[in-house]
Amino acid sequence: MEDYKYLFKVVLIGNAGVGKTCLVSRYTKGFFPPGQMATIGVDFMIKTVEIDGDKVKLQIWDTAGQERFRSITQSYYRSANALILVYDVCSQQSYESLPHWVHEIELYAGTKVLAFLVGNKIDQTDKREIPTHIGKEFAERYEMRFLETSAKEADNVEKLFTSIAYQLTAQARDLELRPEQQGTVITGGSTPIASAPSCCKL
Amino acid sequence: MSGGCCGCVAALKPRYKRLVDNIFPANPQDGLVKNNMEKLTFYALSSRPEKLDRIGQYLEQKLTADINRHRFEFVFIAMEALDQLLVSCHAHSLNLFVESYLKMVQKLLECQEPDLQITATNSFVKFSNIEEDAPSYHRRYDFFVSKFSSMCHSGEQFGKEMKQKIRGAGLRGIQGVVRKTISDELQVNIWEQVHMDKIVPSLLFNMQDTKSTGADIESPKDEDDPAHLAEVVFRDLVCRASYGNIRCVLVPILVHLDNHRAWVPTDFAVRVFKIVMYSVQSQYGYLVIQLLLSHLDKHVKDDPQIKTSILTVLFEAVLISAGGSIGPSVLEVFNNLLRHLRISVDNKGKNQAQYSAEVKFQDAIVNTIGEFANNLPDYQKIEIMMFVMGKFPQFADEEIGGHMDQQLQINLLKTLLKATTKYKTVIMSNAFPPEFLHPLLRMSLMEDAGMRITVQDILHTLIDRHGNTKKLKRIELCGNIAVLELSVEKCSRQDILFMKKSGMQFYWHILENLQLESNRVDNLEALYCTMGLLAVEMGGDDIIVDLFRLALDIQGLATGTTLPLTHRCALHAMVAAYLNLISQLVTCQQAFEYVQSVIELRKFRAQHLLPDFAYNRTNRPQSLSELEKSELYPKTDQVKEEWLFEQSLLTTHLASTGLDVSRLGTPFTQKPYSGDNMDPTMSASDIGSINIEMESVDGSPSMARRRYSGVEEITVESLKKMLSEENTEDKEESERRRREVVNTFRTAPFEEIVAKSEAKSNHFHNKLNEILDFVSNTCVKETPVDGMSSEPGDTPFGMQFPDLFVY
Ligand SMILES: Nc1nc2c(ncn2[C@@H]2O[C@H](COP(=O)(O)OP(=O)(O)O)[C@@H](O)[C@H]2O)c(=O)[nH]1
Ligand SMILES: [Mg+2]
Repeated sequence: MEDYKYLFKVVLIGNAGVGKTCLVSRYTKGFFPPGQMATIGVDFMIKTVEIDGDKVKLQIWDTAGQERFRSITQSYYRSANALILVYDVCSQQSYESLPHWVHEIELYAGTKVLAFLVGNKIDQTDKREIPTHIGKEFAERYEMRFLETSAKEADNVEKLFTSIAYQLTAQARDLELRPEQQGTVITGGSTPIASAPSCCKL
Repeated sequence: MSGGCCGCVAALKPRYKRLVDNIFPANPQDGLVKNNMEKLTFYALSSRPEKLDRIGQYLEQKLTADINRHRFEFVFIAMEALDQLLVSCHAHSLNLFVESYLKMVQKLLECQEPDLQITATNSFVKFSNIEEDAPSYHRRYDFFVSKFSSMCHSGEQFGKEMKQKIRGAGLRGIQGVVRKTISDELQVNIWEQVHMDKIVPSLLFNMQDTKSTGADIESPKDEDDPAHLAEVVFRDLVCRASYGNIRCVLVPILVHLDNHRAWVPTDFAVRVFKIVMYSVQSQYGYLVIQLLLSHLDKHVKDDPQIKTSILTVLFEAVLISAGGSIGPSVLEVFNNLLRHLRISVDNKGKNQAQYSAEVKFQDAIVNTIGEFANNLPDYQKIEIMMFVMGKFPQFADEEIGGHMDQQLQINLLKTLLKATTKYKTVIMSNAFPPEFLHPLLRMSLMEDAGMRITVQDILHTLIDRHGNTKKLKRIELCGNIAVLELSVEKCSRQDILFMKKSGMQFYWHILENLQLESNRVDNLEALYCTMGLLAVEMGGDDIIVDLFRLALDIQGLATGTTLPLTHRCALHAMVAAYLNLISQLVTCQQAFEYVQSVIELRKFRAQHLLPDFAYNRTNRPQSLSELEKSELYPKTDQVKEEWLFEQSLLTTHLASTGLDVSRLGTPFTQKPYSGDNMDPTMSASDIGSINIEMESVDGSPSMARRRYSGVEEITVESLKKMLSEENTEDKEESERRRREVVNTFRTAPFEEIVAKSEAKSNHFHNKLNEILDFVSNTCVKETPVDGMSSEPGDTPFGMQFPDLFVY
């Protein structure tokens, strides 16, 4: 009776104002919100996609970058199947905060969490402060995947989430094929309907 | 698929589907069709359980469709129907039906519309109150925790009223999940970190957010106020925590307070932990305390303000935790706190603000340790005091002469005093085991006069069983001690035994104390109080005779000493007051009358030897010229024989009442300073008798003897050397200093002289410490505590201040 086969939790983190909420909105609702308010605490959107015939539900949690929500936002990292760390390519400062965020991930997220580094707002070519290769190098150093996006122009947004869905599904299937391992995997939070373990977490 | 869609298609549908379709009205504004709802309920109740499951699945289908088409009125109707079915059918096994039900709730929670989320939550809360008879299998409460926690933080964009609704829903939802999962082993373990990390900050966030309600004092207990609601849920959560999972709630609290810098100011943290302590099952209270302690460790290098806050919280927690629930690792707790004390004292700070912050922290530690000790059973209190005492390097047996920060010493003493205040002495020997009494008495001889008073205060609280301390604090002559309203009880055999064993230690230390030139009036009063308490608490027939002897010894001290005149007068006055007191306690009329007669004489001829003068703070001579003008002080310092209390007369009087006075003839100690007025009764055999006294204490005569002689030998030599060191000074220089000293005494106020002699004695004591160090390192291994009390004749304290020989 379920309308999906896998459920994955994706959590977006990064400084306030880099475009996390816009990315989620663009992907789940298909539009770039005009006057967006700062995110309060945590919120999520649902999007169901099809990967090779299987319905995959993504629960996308958008977090606030503000200090006063620190403990609550941290608590969502732990149950994430994938993390998207966003910075603004037009903001040196947002790039410089990345080590802080990486540290948070190391502290609070599972070690094998699928992590993406995303440089957003590439439509503002004239304002760009962080060249592509810089971001890419950072991602490689910390073993993250890397993409540059524009929530405004819908550049690479679809690609970002689809590839996350794809990789998580592949992982889940992989584990399904090796049932002897299922018991050893701690399901940190993903709620796989077909008892598929939640992708090597924690 | 809803309301209006019946007709020919309906006829082909199974009965249950038709019944479900019929509860939806044609016009959504009309709401649930009540009659048909009753039919549906009746059908569900009277059919086999599978029918209910099918109804659930069908309703779910319809609901999904309505959500997708944004037909929210129908969604609300469906939820109402679900609620009714749940309540009516709960006697049946609800298992599968519940599955569909929860899926529907989740669907609604996934919507963006706040109204749908709130409806779903309200329904879920109703469901959480239903007791299911059969255990149910793992449900997806994980999502619920995430969503409800998120709701607890949201709603800001919708205005105050809506925000309150959303947050309230989130909080009640959390409570529902906790309720549903906690008692059912097949459910998720709600205590897992993933969940608690969301639940706890969500509750705290709302408890903290008093802005949300503003200063709305009119409706502080508003049930829907998120801050209030959050607190209710929080209490509920904490009181459900068992031994295994109390940590799971506490750790996120600490993390949250750290993250949100919510330790300073202390109010919120204190509030939170008060709630914790009042809600937690009392036998687990100590876990809270342990966790707070280790949290303090984490902050050891941080701002003292934060540390003080954590400690304040700890203090409040200890206050609340019932006695004895502090747990087994008491010493560990104390060790930990004392370590923080030490670190803080060492951490002198860069500026004034930082320094005073550290001092505040130290006070907080002292208070907390005291409160800890107060909550312990009495035998453990003594253990704790011994433990604290072990922290004084110079009194810990191994490290004689170790240096210790003055500030730290004061703090430790304060801690000791705090710890004793609630100790209820029953039997003296329990309050003063030798391992405790010896170092405590050694501490009574500390250099700092203020600290010596604190030691006496400690003695008072422990000796005094009948609340007499206050009445004995003043040195005065009561013609009839009935006015003091002393509460006296007959002393037990055990206590007499104790005094026989340890009395000498008290006396010897009192005598030593009285000779310290740095004593102020307060010191003497404190010592007098100790003597008074000994008499009141343990003045049985045998002991009281010893106390008379003590008084005579003090008199001997006063006549044979080099102390300044003010000190000597004070000692004589003290003897008068003390004899007046104990001669009444012993109810020996003749002795009393004799004492009175001497006092009368003094009143007439030598008022300066009576308390009214000697302890009157207002008439202390400010200078020698004033002293000379004073009618009361004698022009010479001669004390006439008849002004003194005579041992032989006292002996006769006391013997007449049948007391065993054989001990009255023998002074306790050789006079520490052998001056011109050396007591002629003193002989070698006397010293021997004292030694025997000490031997019987130890039960190991040979050891005592050896120790005695060993110490004597080295001490004499060392002292000689020390004196010669003083003598190497230029004759002229020493003469000049002598004059200076005399001059000082002529002109300087009493307290100033005291201060000077204190500084002097420090220098000497340091030297002495070196020597003692040397002694203990070269001699037979021994306990220096005993060593000290067995060498009264050679005590270095009597040899001090050769250049203060004013008279
Ligand atoms: N030009 C441009 N602006 C963007 C883009 N994404 C977000 N923004 C703008 O950046 C600001 C912050 O976006 P928001 O999604 O609220 O950031 P968040 O705090 O990370 O959630 C908004 O004013 C957005 O309009 C983008 O791809 N291009
Ligand atoms: Mg945002």
